Amino acid sequence: MSDTEHPGPHRDHLISTPSADALLPATPVEIELSGALQLSERHQARRENWRLIRRRPAFMIGTFIVAVWLVCAALGDRITPHNPLDFRVSTHLSPRAAFPFGTDSQGRDVLSRVMAGALDVMKVAPLAAVLGVVFGVTVGMLMGYIGGWLDQILSRIVEAFLALPVLLVALLAITTLGNSTLVVIGVVSALFTPVVARTVRAAVLAERDLDYVTSAKLRGESSLFVMFKEILPNVSGPIIVELTVRIGYAVFTVATLSFLGAGPQPPSPDWGAQVSEGFRVISAGIWWTTFFPAVAIASLVIAVNLIADSVQSVLEAS
Amino acid sequence: MSPHVETSVAAAALSVDNLEVAYTVRGIDRAVLRGVSFSIAPGEAYGLVGESGCGKSTTAYASMRYLPRNGKILSGRVLVDGDDVTNMTGSQLQRFRASEASMVYQDPAQAMNPSIKVGRQLIESFTLLGRSKADATNDALQALRRVRIADCERVMDRYPFQLSGGMQQRVVIAMALACDPKLLVLDEPTTGLDATVEAEVLDLVRVLREETNAAVLMIAHNLGIVRSLCDRVGVMYAGQIVEEGPCREVFDDPQHPYTVGLLRSLPRRGVRKTEQALATIPGMLPLIGTDLPTCVFVDRCPLADDLCRTVVPPVVPVGITGNRYTRCHHLDRISDIIEAPTDVPIGILAKSEDNPDVLELSHVSKTFRQRSTEVPALVEVDLQLGEGETLGIVGESGSGKSTLAKTMLGIESADMGGVVSLDGHAVAAKTAGRSADDKRAMQMVFQNPDSALNRAWSVRRILLRSVTKLTGIKGDEANDRVEKLAAQLRLTPRHLDLKPRQLSGGLKQRVAIARAFAGDPRIVVCDEPTSALDVSVQAAILNLLADLQAEQHTSYVFISHDMGVVRYLADRIAVMYLGRIQEIGLTDDIFNGPNHPYTEALLSAVPSLDGEITTRIRLDGEIPSPANPPSGCVFHPRCPRAIVGVCEVSEPPLVEVAIGHSMRCHISIDELRVLQQGH
Repeated sequence: MSDTEHPGPHRDHLISTPSADALLPATPVEIELSGALQLSERHQARRENWRLIRRRPAFMIGTFIVAVWLVCAALGDRITPHNPLDFRVSTHLSPRAAFPFGTDSQGRDVLSRVMAGALDVMKVAPLAAVLGVVFGVTVGMLMGYIGGWLDQILSRIVEAFLALPVLLVALLAITTLGNSTLVVIGVVSALFTPVVARTVRAAVLAERDLDYVTSAKLRGESSLFVMFKEILPNVSGPIIVELTVRIGYAVFTVATLSFLGAGPQPPSPDWGAQVSEGFRVISAGIWWTTFFPAVAIASLVIAVNLIADSVQSVLEAS
Repeated sequence: MSPHVETSVAAAALSVDNLEVAYTVRGIDRAVLRGVSFSIAPGEAYGLVGESGCGKSTTAYASMRYLPRNGKILSGRVLVDGDDVTNMTGSQLQRFRASEASMVYQDPAQAMNPSIKVGRQLIESFTLLGRSKADATNDALQALRRVRIADCERVMDRYPFQLSGGMQQRVVIAMALACDPKLLVLDEPTTGLDATVEAEVLDLVRVLREETNAAVLMIAHNLGIVRSLCDRVGVMYAGQIVEEGPCREVFDDPQHPYTVGLLRSLPRRGVRKTEQALATIPGMLPLIGTDLPTCVFVDRCPLADDLCRTVVPPVVPVGITGNRYTRCHHLDRISDIIEAPTDVPIGILAKSEDNPDVLELSHVSKTFRQRSTEVPALVEVDLQLGEGETLGIVGESGSGKSTLAKTMLGIESADMGGVVSLDGHAVAAKTAGRSADDKRAMQMVFQNPDSALNRAWSVRRILLRSVTKLTGIKGDEANDRVEKLAAQLRLTPRHLDLKPRQLSGGLKQRVAIARAFAGDPRIVVCDEPTSALDVSVQAAILNLLADLQAEQHTSYVFISHDMGVVRYLADRIAVMYLGRIQEIGLTDDIFNGPNHPYTEALLSAVPSLDGEITTRIRLDGEIPSPANPPSGCVFHPRCPRAIVGVCEVSEPPLVEVAIGHSMRCHISIDELRVLQQGH
């Protein structure tokens, strides 16, 4: 349920929205309800959101896939059929009952390695995304709220960042700084910061000139208070959407980086590294060592995006 | 149970018969219109009035079958020129809307495509009717002339945003008239326009109605407009017409308790806050879709008794002419409410000479810089505000009212040389530079409470933060103060835990006022605080403001476009035009005249609800751009009394023409008195 009176302060005489009456059923707020009724309506609205999102097959499928990978990541070699690092099996066995995903060039079970590989992605991608969003919100808030020359300078930097090829910069940074997990997280989050900042800036610009901000200034609130206590809760919608979308991108970026060698090194069962190891022998008909980790990456990226889409459409509708 | 309407159905241009409309919300049909019947003869103007949510717009949309997707007509008929709109097929409906009926909406900017030139849009409305391109172009020019646009070729070649609001609305009306409609529906057509422009548009509608002989259905919340334009009026409440009759009779002698309440909640006939509190209608409009009691108004009616709760009130004819009816059991007791005294007059401190000034502005100007051009939005304003005094500020949009408010408060910083003084000491131009006490002394109530309240915060948090920040009180003491504030503003404790969006417009505005009063301010600046509210809610808010002032001796700067409201609340009034104070004086001085010619025009543009005859002064043209003000007196290009050779040469100073009454005019007060004697 949105507000009844859409902010329309641009004209002195604006009294009501054009078709206030016609739109009324969707906007019952004009009528004063009893407090109890209102509270229950509010809970109902929240429950309604949950119900709406759970009714979306996309959300349920996405959540299921993510849950499967989370279990794999959490339990690791406690649930894998074989030791993911064990070399003893014959090499390049095609998929069969004992090894459903086959074995790789070192004779390791691909299924076990794919399951264990979830851990690397699950450690790095969400952390990188969260950090990127935290930085992005901070920068975007400053750009949108403070504005002026600060906005000008930061906007140019953001544009410059956006113009650079992400992977090249990331590779360069990782080769320079070393490929520890921390560096990968730092680099990926730094690359996400400008994108998030731009989204947040736009949302803040729409809030900045609303009268509640003026009112806060009139009672002498600091800029920090206005930005993070007054404005932030009102732009949480786009930020949540941005976060879910960024996690999807982070999975992909992290996998790509490790494919290119800037990630966990062999014999780690990282998905990107597995694809990278396996794809040289594809031409020899040994497709499974590449295919299954690639599917794993794709499934996680798609699952996260399915969730992100559902969250976005439910948040936008409410 | 359809009321006996005197216009016969066959002759009516629009005849709505027992119309019931429901909106489907979450799968449940919720009744919005509950048996609406009325008819309009060709050439007649019919007004629908009522609070928002009463179903007047739904009635208008239903008569064009323009209901939103979830709306449906349950029963009843809508006949336009004899054709039943309710059972037309898609293509019939399309033809009907193209050639039989037209609608004009509140916001002309939204009624036009912003990226297509006005000419092409207008021509299209004629080619739609089957004209050739060349004919349509001619027709379009003709149509613009018809709505009294002088320079039509130039207007055709413009984009909508390049036209002023009044001009846009004329173009929209021209489009609406393209098909020579039998029915013209006007939904709040002047709500977004300035009073002087509104008066022009209403004049135009009045003339066009005679020229075209179209039936006009007018939806308006402003009863004065309806009175000045319409022949008959229907008063709607909760999806029913509760009273109908000729405008003059209904407004002068209302015969339904709701109509009585509506009319009494307006500040009228020069009533002032010192004389009388405004009447309010207690309670709220019933929720749409709820089962209504027998009489729709019973829960809020001062006359309600057991009869009203058990028996549906009949349609009672009023008078002998047979063209008026009301739905009330207690016609004989209507006069009881009319004569019952309104609340006790409030003892309010009248501005007297010995009240010290709390606020003083001297030579305050504000110049905005847009790219390299300077736009003077405020020019050399001098003002004093006494303790407990209310200063009303009026003027058209763009006159600098809001800039003046923002500059006082330090939201905008005044240009160098201007001084804002509080209690005798000069304060910093920007809020941030002012001391805590100075910030506390001056607070603001905004026009739109939706934008003024943080929607992520609860009411309690909003008030608590202001209390602690402004007064420095903390903990339990602050909580107590929040609860006291809320009680003062007639908010109940349970409202404190709600978010703003869960409150009605009136309650939201109360929260905003409570916030402004959190630190016992000396001065509260109110920027159109009631213009987004219904009249009965407005009355409650105005009463509250007057009460708070009486208790706390707060001074108000009250910005409004509504002359009636300003007259009720203000002790003194400043009239602004193009960033300058053109006239300032006691409320009686301003309303009794003699006035500055601009004030004169503003006052005469107000459509009177009381049917007072005034000679209308019309202003030509639009407010000039402040970036490029006219020479001499800035008002001279639009001034009907301008003296050639004088007014465009030098700007008159603001001179005190009588005690406490100053104006900026080359014409002497005595001459103005003679010139304005007619009204």
